[in-house]
Amino acid sequence: MSTDRDRLVERLLRRFVGDTREESAIRQRHSELKRARLIRRLSQSALLAGIAVLLYVSLNAAGFWRTEWMEYWPQFVEALAQYFPPEVYFGVIPFVDLARYYRFMNEAGLVGEAGITLAIALAGTIMGAPLALLFGILGNERVTPFPLNFLFRGVMSIIRSIPALVWALIYIPLGGITPVTATLALGTDTIGELGRLLTDELEEVDDGPIEGIRSTGAGKAQIITFGMIPQMVRPFIAWAMFVLENNVRSAVSLGIIGAGGLGVTLTIEQQTFNFTNMMATILFIVVLVISVEMISQRTRSYLRESDDVEQLSFYQLVVGFPKRMSDSLLK
Amino acid sequence: MVLRVQDLTKEYGDTTALSNVSFEVPDGSFAVVLGESGAGKSTLLRILNGLTEPTSGSVYLDGQEVTNSRSDVGMVFQQHNLVDELSAYDNALTGTFNRTGFLRSLLNSQPTEDRELALEALSTVGLLDEADQKVSHMSGGQQQRVGIARALVQRPTLLLADEPVASLDPASAETVMAYFRETVKKRDLTTLASLHQVNIAREFGEQFIGMKNGEVMFVGSRSELTPSILEEIYGEIQTEELREGTEAAGVNGSIQNEAAEMRTER
Repeated sequence: MSTDRDRLVERLLRRFVGDTREESAIRQRHSELKRARLIRRLSQSALLAGIAVLLYVSLNAAGFWRTEWMEYWPQFVEALAQYFPPEVYFGVIPFVDLARYYRFMNEAGLVGEAGITLAIALAGTIMGAPLALLFGILGNERVTPFPLNFLFRGVMSIIRSIPALVWALIYIPLGGITPVTATLALGTDTIGELGRLLTDELEEVDDGPIEGIRSTGAGKAQIITFGMIPQMVRPFIAWAMFVLENNVRSAVSLGIIGAGGLGVTLTIEQQTFNFTNMMATILFIVVLVISVEMISQRTRSYLRESDDVEQLSFYQLVVGFPKRMSDSLLK
Repeated sequence: MVLRVQDLTKEYGDTTALSNVSFEVPDGSFAVVLGESGAGKSTLLRILNGLTEPTSGSVYLDGQEVTNSRSDVGMVFQQHNLVDELSAYDNALTGTFNRTGFLRSLLNSQPTEDRELALEALSTVGLLDEADQKVSHMSGGQQQRVGIARALVQRPTLLLADEPVASLDPASAETVMAYFRETVKKRDLTTLASLHQVNIAREFGEQFIGMKNGEVMFVGSRSELTPSILEEIYGEIQTEELREGTEAAGVNGSIQNEAAEMRTER
């Protein structure tokens, strides 16, 4: 009873004096939040300061302040002007002098060089693809019993762990850095890359047809050829096209170390400081690689109608080009 | 061929899929294996086809123990198990694999006799005109008929069918079963099919083998397949379609036979 009366008194009192208790609760919460925000701001600033220090130390370590790159800035601007030679069209519209690029492309016979790059990629892919299929199938547990199948998988793993660039170096004794060794390098690389993709695809092969063929009393070779391979045809072509895409990019980078094609032209022009010509070559590489990618992706999406293959738009093809180029350079 | 199964047992680890299964199917008759899912029907058929090894027991065809069962025994699967990417004709030709060398089958150069056999089998199941069609472009019923054709091309002495119409609509199921029966009658093949549609089983079967939990609990003719036995095999039946099947079983033998005759005349 007494507590009830106490509450009543309290309520009456509050009505007279104003709700001090509730108000102080709000103020208290307010100052709490203020403090929390201050702490957050301070720690964020500390983090930014830390990153700034990290940048400074790193630049220092890289010799950023010692070298004369800032002195060379005007030269870079000059080079930029050579990369993109300016020209005024119709006396009013300033733009890059495309005619100069075009002239170099003709003079240096870039179409022919692109042909060599493409030939290296095509030959490498076509030579490697059947072997990739063979290794992929032999690496499958349903074909080769458990411990033995890892022999083939292991070979593919080893091949894959060595970049195409290094394969080219390995093949050098066969005749220096030439289109021949580049082709062999890409062929080897294809076995590892495509083989790996096909191994995954083979895991998903439907058991039904295999069992169906088995039920007819067929031999093992017949079961594989008729129960398994027909299911692999579409994915095989689709993945081979994908690997061809990669191989065209790799063929360009093999050219940079001297194995023929557009890559060679690129290094020569760079080393002789013909920057306009170098940029013309780069543009040609872009056109070649993107054309191959477009053909490959159209084929793949046609082959897998229902499956959702990432279909890059023209915009994505152009914008994502540098990334894909560097990926296949360093893979 | 008389099929005799004796003391067939199959164990997967601790679970017993089949235990001491024994029965006999007379020459040229159409036997149906009935039972719930998991009763052991598929395991039984897979052992008869040689796709699975039994733990113990044996299978005899005309008194001879079957050793190379795969080539002598044709099999029709529930999911047809054809190669989708090949034509009906090429799928039927895979039935010749047990007598064709690898190179010949690879080069697709089976003897003319075998090629005609494949086309004849396709014509038996009413698909001669569709022979060059890709299997993936065919309907479920047509695919199953190609499956029957493939089994026939094997020149089997025994034909097995594992739920051949379970994944088909009622009309296609009827068509496939009609072709199936016609085919086996024409060639006088001993047939063993597992079916879970009681009404279809009653219409097409001549001998019934009821299985439950891996054991044979009933072997008998159509008239012996009474509702109480069906109830024992399947437990309480709630679905109308199935109940009709069991009620029909209650009708006495002579009426049953007349009905069957009328149906064949039709």
